[in-house]
Amino acid sequence: MTTPPPCGPPPSHPPSPGDGDIASWHRLHPLSPVIRAGRQTLTIGTALVALLVLNQHQAGTDLVIDLIIAGLALAGGVVSWLVTRWQVADGALRIETGLVRRQSLRFPLSQVQAIDVVQTGLARVLGLAEIRLRMAARDSSDGRLACLPLAEARQLRERLLAMTRAPGSPAPGAGEAGAAARPGAAAAAAGSAAGLAWPGYASREPERLLFRVRPARLAAGIALSRTGAVAATVIAAMAAVAALTGQPGAVAPFLPLGFGIVLAVWRQFNGEFGTNVAAAADGLRLRSGLVQTTAETIRPGRVQAVRLVQPLVWRAFGWCRLEVDVAGPRQRRENEAEGHRLRALIPVGSLAEAEQMLGELLTGRPLPRRRAPARARWKAPLSYHFLGWDGDDRYVVASRGRVSRTTTWVPLEKLQSVRWVQGPVQRRLGLASVRVDVAGKRVTGGIEDRDAAEARDILGRLPGLARQARIRAAH
Amino acid sequence: MSAGLPEPGPGTGPGDDVGWRRPSPRLLTARRIQAGLVIVPAALGGGVAAATAGSPGLGTAVGLALVAAGLAWERFLARRVAAWGYAERNEDLMVRRGVLIRRESVIPYGRMQFIDVTAGPVERSLGLATVRMHTAAAASDARIPGLDKAVAAQLRDQLAALGEAQAAGL
Repeated sequence: MTTPPPCGPPPSHPPSPGDGDIASWHRLHPLSPVIRAGRQTLTIGTALVALLVLNQHQAGTDLVIDLIIAGLALAGGVVSWLVTRWQVADGALRIETGLVRRQSLRFPLSQVQAIDVVQTGLARVLGLAEIRLRMAARDSSDGRLACLPLAEARQLRERLLAMTRAPGSPAPGAGEAGAAARPGAAAAAAGSAAGLAWPGYASREPERLLFRVRPARLAAGIALSRTGAVAATVIAAMAAVAALTGQPGAVAPFLPLGFGIVLAVWRQFNGEFGTNVAAAADGLRLRSGLVQTTAETIRPGRVQAVRLVQPLVWRAFGWCRLEVDVAGPRQRRENEAEGHRLRALIPVGSLAEAEQMLGELLTGRPLPRRRAPARARWKAPLSYHFLGWDGDDRYVVASRGRVSRTTTWVPLEKLQSVRWVQGPVQRRLGLASVRVDVAGKRVTGGIEDRDAAEARDILGRLPGLARQARIRAAH
Repeated sequence: MSAGLPEPGPGTGPGDDVGWRRPSPRLLTARRIQAGLVIVPAALGGGVAAATAGSPGLGTAVGLALVAAGLAWERFLARRVAAWGYAERNEDLMVRRGVLIRRESVIPYGRMQFIDVTAGPVERSLGLATVRMHTAAAASDARIPGLDKAVAAQLRDQLAALGEAQAAGL
């Protein structure tokens, strides 16, 4: 963890952080304030246009106020750029920032969950990118370097990733990853380092493409999802109202609602467009986005749970969605909608693609073959046909759902706690459920409505198996 | 056995004899006081409101009905308090609770992130405290209410020591 970064003699010209000395202090790119203020400028611009369209009077004063706000944001950005600097030293990224309230942030690289390179729309035009470090702690903030030139950001990310798996850092091994760990080689050139292999993947190839979403299918999938259905209903209702009353003005009060829904659909499409998953030496590389692109590396052994969702309409087409839960806080700022969802490795894909990805993520996974006892039909008539579970010494899998089928795989070494629950109806029927919790708020594996004795047996065995899995993973 | 899980290896299985420990008997007193603090003002308020709106007889009836509901609740309280139990096993802590919905949780010591001990005014006046364990999972629910203050402090220290000894990364 305390590997000094490979630094040559200090260069006389301002060093480029990508390939040069990263141990000294650096500034961000001078155009960063524009990007940061750009977000506000865009928002204000949109609001301004909306205002101008809706009421053409009184726009003058608003314009002045908006200009003042944008100017202040820009000035604040410039000051913030002047007082912000960063370095990588002692196995940690340090960021110093703040004019009045000086802040010195330190992000230990050994605790980094993932390093993302994010490009917002404006940053893309200017060729800049933001680096985000996602940390393990639940409530700690992300480390953000906004912005660097794209090429430098990519290089820096490679180097930081190489340092996160430097000797001394806890081996983030999942399953047999320990066998593939060669800590000594990690300090070698980034990208080609034979660091940690994704389970079942030990090639030295820099990347191997696993999945790429088809744009047409993504559009169709979103249109056929709940979001799409809601959007279609609302738009149809608004059109109907406008047509029936004969005056388009009647729908004006509902315009913000319609706008919000269209925005939600757009966000999902924008966020998941071009989703591209590749296996590399340092984990799964995930890229996505249409206007704003995100690149993320999910390190092996950081996956807390894998979830396969098959909504009703999608099942007719043989489509499904594959999501992973990764420890650490979600990125909230830009993608508010994204914050509530898991990371979709496959936003829309065929079952065969999902099978392949599952094979990549989990080695020798069990399938939810054990059906619930027939009397569970009385307690859960709508979801009975999807209830099932199975487990071995590495994973527990459980499936459930009424209309949409959800199958969750939890690696046993990620298990945080096990709960046995029995409600009054279940007691009458001699049933019980077992819930398997993993870190975070989003995923709980639920083995629902089993025979009471079987549930008791699962509760008795799971903690011991989880302990063995943890011990195995630590070695 | 019907479970599809393999048998855990030797030395890692759960302790066969789970010695359940219970919260202090004063927890029932605390719960009664808490229930009384809700029921008595509710009965008085409801009675007075009904008396002003209707007749004094109606007010008395409403008040008495609320008191009767409180007494019925009290019967339930006793069972709920009796349902609490916890067991410190070799590798994990078990907590059970609930009458209508019965729950049993197993929290490995290595997964505990932090432990806090809290005591509300009623609990404090009776020398009781609640110990709560937190894991990285938001859904884990492991609290033991109504422990004697000394027992709570001892349990907290013990759990903290065990958690540190068996801590595991995410």
